[in-house]
Amino acid sequence: MSKRGAEELRTYEEINQKIKSGDAIVMTADDFIKTVEDSGLKRAAKEVDVVTTGTFGAMCSSGAFINFGHSEPPIKMFKCWLNDVPAYKGLAAVDCYLGATAMSETKGFDYGGGHVIEDLVSGKEIELRAEAYGTDCYPRRSIETTVTIDDLNQAMLLNPRNAYERYNAATNGTDRIIHTYMGTLLPHYGNVTYSGSGQLSPLYKDRGFEIIGIGTRIFLGGGIGCVIGEGTQHSPQNQFGTIMVRGDLKQMNNRYLRGATYYKYGTTLYVGIGIPIPIINEKVAASAALKDEEIFTDILDYGVPSRSRPSVKRASYSELRSGRVEINGREITSSSLSSNKVAKEIATNLKGWIEEGAFFLNRPAELVPDHGEFKPLELRRKEPRVRDIMTRELVVGKPTDDIKSVARILIAKGVDHLPIADGEGKLMGIITSWDLAKAVAQDKRQLHEIMTMKVVTAKEDEAIDTVVRRMEQHNISGVPVVDHSNRILGMLTVNDISKKLIRRP
Amino acid sequence: MKLKLNYSRENIGKPILSDIILRTGIPINILEAKIEPNTGEMLIDVPTEGERLKEFSSLLQRAGVTVKEITRTIEIDRGKCITCGACVSPCPVKALAQDENWDIIFYEEKCIGCGICVYTCPVNAIRML
Repeated sequence: MSKRGAEELRTYEEINQKIKSGDAIVMTADDFIKTVEDSGLKRAAKEVDVVTTGTFGAMCSSGAFINFGHSEPPIKMFKCWLNDVPAYKGLAAVDCYLGATAMSETKGFDYGGGHVIEDLVSGKEIELRAEAYGTDCYPRRSIETTVTIDDLNQAMLLNPRNAYERYNAATNGTDRIIHTYMGTLLPHYGNVTYSGSGQLSPLYKDRGFEIIGIGTRIFLGGGIGCVIGEGTQHSPQNQFGTIMVRGDLKQMNNRYLRGATYYKYGTTLYVGIGIPIPIINEKVAASAALKDEEIFTDILDYGVPSRSRPSVKRASYSELRSGRVEINGREITSSSLSSNKVAKEIATNLKGWIEEGAFFLNRPAELVPDHGEFKPLELRRKEPRVRDIMTRELVVGKPTDDIKSVARILIAKGVDHLPIADGEGKLMGIITSWDLAKAVAQDKRQLHEIMTMKVVTAKEDEAIDTVVRRMEQHNISGVPVVDHSNRILGMLTVNDISKKLIRRP
Repeated sequence: MKLKLNYSRENIGKPILSDIILRTGIPINILEAKIEPNTGEMLIDVPTEGERLKEFSSLLQRAGVTVKEITRTIEIDRGKCITCGACVSPCPVKALAQDENWDIIFYEEKCIGCGICVYTCPVNAIRML
């Protein structure tokens, strides 16, 4: 087998020579697929010099390095904000890093770092605020002014993780609507969302990482940028390769760089990326010719708030992009979060640039690795689980209990929640003091008339945060803890958590 | 035609809608309902038009219910829209779709004005009318 990156069909120099003379054959990945179908891979690989790709999606690991220049008298900014969005100031006096997911301290979810970057690129005025402690060399203690992109010395987009080769699709198996970084997911597998441009995906089109590496020149946000190396969480062995990229914001265009908000999740940045794939060998050609039908991803249940979400189904991008996915025999509507239209536009623009001789290809200094670490974070300190906090002294009711006597028990024991169990101790329902008040108002006598049958529960080994989130979602203040056969083991209430978990001074 | 009904404190507790359904024989569809102790708000779809619709509305009004015809629900700012599709699959009534160029299509007649698309849009390009 030949080495990764072997230039068997053509060299970078030969391609650039053809670009210069206007003879290079350049195609978008969509068109290359058609060419391969018509004339076969071998011939297509011989004829086509460059295949262009594109993607335009939400990429949270994005941000910009900014240098403001020195004021008179100068300041060593210790904290700084752009339109009230805090930027990272652990750098030299007037350098900062503005992250896409940082949120405005006044507007919250509606405006974040991604929006500031878009506004900068659009030429808008940005409020700059900074604080300092004052030093002998930097006496100034604060700044409040406005800046535009033209005032800045450097405004450099530098994104640690972009352009995932492909991404998991999402659905929701719970009985409530959820709001995630994969968008709004309706209950009972009500819809499927996905991201990534499938057969136009820059990294999937170089699946073996034969051409992408340090220095690879790319389309970035409407300007020309380059790949710095592999991105964080780069995991090409699982087809989850990523890249780190940089580019000059001053060259970019807000059609390909947009601030965005995912409802109840946070802010992010839509980034447009296109990579030219030089057809240097047949392996590259085969990968560039992959079709939506051959690119698969898992549809995960985002209703499970865990890092290991179960896969509901494996689907191809062709199925996802058709707008309908079959899950458990039902047809579910699917839609994209990244823009297929803009992805196509980027691939077409990049092709145009190369054909016009405005963009040349280059051999990377070093290829992106074809293997990466992707480990979970194991927590070394012992964290309290449900079993450590829950109340085990159980007060349990029977469905046939009389309401008045139950009310007396609740008062005597000082509890607000009463799980109802059958003869074997299995959970049947729950009563709260509010239900009892309602029962008195409506003149009901027995527990089974008023108890809630669909009970939100917790398991003994769950993390407290997971259960707290569940209680918040259902707007309740306590859950019965049950085992796998639904037998009641205890109760966990907000009260237990505040008393036992939050240490008091 | 979709109608938004507002019940005041005075007409809560009366079977107004069922009475009118029985009287007119029009099988309405309740799209959204919010019943509070003192007020009620309902969005219904009345599958009729012209005189029959007028009759249905006036019966409601006579019973003290405020009736508003809902013709326009949302508006998409095409200049802001990035044609991502984030609004499409969450729409519970398939009033949003994408054409062959991935541009967003909006079927006004299907829309129930639930507002999911409004907050789902990542670039704030959809607003409620």
